[in-house]
Amino acid sequence: MDSCMAQTWDRIIGRIISSGRMYDAILKAIMGETPRDVVARQTVAAPDDTIIRIEHLTKTFCGRRTVTAVNDVTFDVKRGEIFGLLGPNGAGKSTLIRILTTLMKPTSGTAFLDNYEVTRDDERVRSIIGVCPQNSTLDIELTAYDNLAFYGKLVNVEESLLDTRIWELLAMTELTDRAHSKVATLSGGMRRKLEIVRAFIHHPLILFLDEPTIGLDPEARHEVWQQISMLNTEHTTIILTTHYMDEAEKLCERIAFIDQGRLISLDTPENLKRVMPAGELFELGYDTFNDGVLPVIRSHELVISVEQKEGKIQIAAQNGSNLLPTLITDFSRFGMTATSVSIRVPSLEDVFLYLTGKKFGHNDADVIDPKKRFS
Amino acid sequence: MLRGAIAIFQRDFKKFLSNPFILIMTLAMPIMYLLVFGNAIGGTITGIPIGVIQEQPYITETPLYLTGVDSLINFHNQPDKPALFVVTRFTDEKIAAGALSDGRIAAYVVFPSKIAPDRNIRLYLDSSDYMVPALIQSGVTAAVTGIGVTNSILVNAIYGTIDYLQYFGVGVIVMAIFSTTMFGGGLALIRDREMGIIEGYFVTPVKRSSIILGTIGSGTVRAFLAGFIIFLVDIFIAGVIVRSATDFFLVLLVLFMTSIGVTSLVVSLASRFSSQQEYSSVIAFFNLFLFMTSGAFYPTLGMPSWLRWIIVINPEAYAIHALRSIILRGQGINVIGIDLIALVIFSFGAIMLGIMSYRRTLE
Repeated sequence: MDSCMAQTWDRIIGRIISSGRMYDAILKAIMGETPRDVVARQTVAAPDDTIIRIEHLTKTFCGRRTVTAVNDVTFDVKRGEIFGLLGPNGAGKSTLIRILTTLMKPTSGTAFLDNYEVTRDDERVRSIIGVCPQNSTLDIELTAYDNLAFYGKLVNVEESLLDTRIWELLAMTELTDRAHSKVATLSGGMRRKLEIVRAFIHHPLILFLDEPTIGLDPEARHEVWQQISMLNTEHTTIILTTHYMDEAEKLCERIAFIDQGRLISLDTPENLKRVMPAGELFELGYDTFNDGVLPVIRSHELVISVEQKEGKIQIAAQNGSNLLPTLITDFSRFGMTATSVSIRVPSLEDVFLYLTGKKFGHNDADVIDPKKRFS
Repeated sequence: MLRGAIAIFQRDFKKFLSNPFILIMTLAMPIMYLLVFGNAIGGTITGIPIGVIQEQPYITETPLYLTGVDSLINFHNQPDKPALFVVTRFTDEKIAAGALSDGRIAAYVVFPSKIAPDRNIRLYLDSSDYMVPALIQSGVTAAVTGIGVTNSILVNAIYGTIDYLQYFGVGVIVMAIFSTTMFGGGLALIRDREMGIIEGYFVTPVKRSSIILGTIGSGTVRAFLAGFIIFLVDIFIAGVIVRSATDFFLVLLVLFMTSIGVTSLVVSLASRFSSQQEYSSVIAFFNLFLFMTSGAFYPTLGMPSWLRWIIVINPEAYAIHALRSIILRGQGINVIGIDLIALVIFSFGAIMLGIMSYRRTLE
C-alpha cells in the first residue's frame, strides 16, 4: 500500500514538475540545452557497447489488488544484439517494454536508452526507437502503403526519402504487389511482417518487438524470424519478448528470463542451458506405481531431480544413458514395468522450469506448445 | 435447439443487466421522447412579440387604434392558453420596421390615422418562421374583425414566401454538423483507441499537442464539409437565396465555429467513454435532445417555459438562429452578433474541455 501512496504522490508532484518542464522547454529554446540536460549527460556515462541500461526498475499497479508487475529489474543490453525477454504470460515483459518505450512511468528505478533517460528525455527516446506492440495497431481500413506512409510521417522520415523507403520495406516483406490492398485483406502473417517493418521505417537504433509471432502459423513464424534477423544486420538492436522458447533460442544472442516481475537469469542460450546441471532428461512411463521407487531413484549419484507427474516419472540426470539400466532395475524391484522411455537434451523451457519450478502458460489456455507445432 | 437459444438469451441479458449505465440510457431515451419531443414539437404557440402603430400624421389615438390594440392584447387562440400576442406600442413606423428586421418583433400592425380612417390596416410580417406568420395573420384578422372593423387588412410578407423545406433545410445544415461529428468522428476515435492506434502514436516522437491538433482539426474539417454540402443542397435544391458575398462568408464563419465547437465537445465525450456502446447511447440522447430543442423543426415559441432554458444553453439553437438570420432574412452581424458570441463561448469551452479530457487519455 505504501508504494501506492507514493505513486499517487508521484503523480501530484509530476503535475507540478511538468510546469517546470515548460520552463525547461523555454530554456532549451533560448540556450539550446537546459542545466538538467547537462546533468543528465554527465550522470549517464555508460560504456559504449551498452545501448540500454536498466537500473532497479519497479512498476507497481495500484487498484483493488496491488500488483508488482516489474520488481527491481536491473540489466544492460548491448549495442547491435538481439535480446530476448522470455517469460510466461503475465511475467511483466510487456510492462517492462511499455516503460522502456515511454508508454508508462516506472514506480521506481530508471532506464536509459542510448543515454537518454526514459522519463526525463521521453521525446528523444521516442525518436530513436521503433515499436511493434503485441496487439496490432495497423489501421486495417488503410492500404499497406498508406499505413507505412502515415507512420513514416509520424516518425519524421524525410518526405523525399519516404516513398523509396516504403517500397524498399514492401519488397523486404514481399508485399510489393499488395501495396495498395487494404490491410483488412492481408493475412495475419502479412500484417505482422508489415507491422514489424513499419516499426523499422526510420532506421531506429532500438527496435522493440512484443510477441512478434504470437498467433502465427509455422511458416509465417519462420518468415518473421528471417525478417528479424535481416533487420538486425542493419546494426539495429532488437529487443524481443516472447513466451516461445524455440523462438528465443533461435534468434536471440542473449536472453533474460523473467517471472513474476523478477529477472531470474540472463545469459546466452548456450550458457543458460549449461546452468542446468543435468545433461539429459528422462521420462519413464509405467503401468502401476509404487511410492518406494522415488527415494531409491533419488539416491543415485547421477540423479539431480525426480518428479512424478501424469503417469510418468521425470528424471533429470547427468550421463543419463548409463543410468538407464539401473533405473529399469529399480522399477522391477518395486514391481513396476517401464512402458515408455524418452531421453532428451534440455531445452530452454527445461531451463526455465528448472529455474522457476513452474510450467509456462499455466494460466493461459491459448498458449501453443511450440514443440508440438514444430515436431 | 432450445438450449442454445436460452444460452444466447442468458448471455445477452446478463450483459444488459451488468451495465447499469446503458440500462439507464435505454430508459432515458423514451422518457426524453415523451417529455421533450412531445413538448418541444407541436406545442401551442403563444406570446408572439408584435408591434402596433398608428399612421402619420399623428393627432390623437383613434378609437380604432385603441380597440384594435386592446383586442390584439386580449386575443386568445385557445381559451385556456396565454394570449397569442405580446404587444409593443411604437410611435414611429421606421422604429417598428427596424425592430422587425432585427427580429425583436415578428410582425407589426399599422392602423390608419384620424384623417384617413378608411385606409387599409397594414400588417408587416416576418415570413421566415414556420407556423408563426400564419398564426399572426389569422390572429390579427380575427382580432380586428372581432371588434367590427371593416377596413381591409393588407399583408406584407417582408421576406417573401418561404417554404417549409427552406426553413427546415437551414436547420438541417446544423444537424448535419452535429450528426457527422457525434456519430462519425466520436465513434472513429473510440475505435482507434480500442484498436491501439492512438497508443501507436505515443511511441513515436509526435507531440501530444500535435495529436490533439490533428484529431480536432480533421474532425472540424469533416464536420464543416458536411454542413457546407447541406448548405449547397439548400441553395440548389431547396432554393434558398444567398444575397451577397458577405452573407456567404458569414454562413461559412458560423459553420466553422459550430464545427470546431461540436468536434471538441465530441472529442471530450469520446475520451470519457471507453466503450462504443456507452458512447453511442449517450450521443444518441444528446443529438436528439439538442436537435429537437434547437428550433430546427418547429418554432421555439411553441416550447413550454420550463423547457425554454434549454434554448439558452443549446449551441445548436444559436447556430440555427444565426443561419436563418443570414440565409432567410438577410440580417447582418447586428442580429447574429449575440449568436456568434454564444458560439465563441461554446467553442472555446468545448476546445478547452476537449483538450483537457483527451490529454488525460493520452497520459
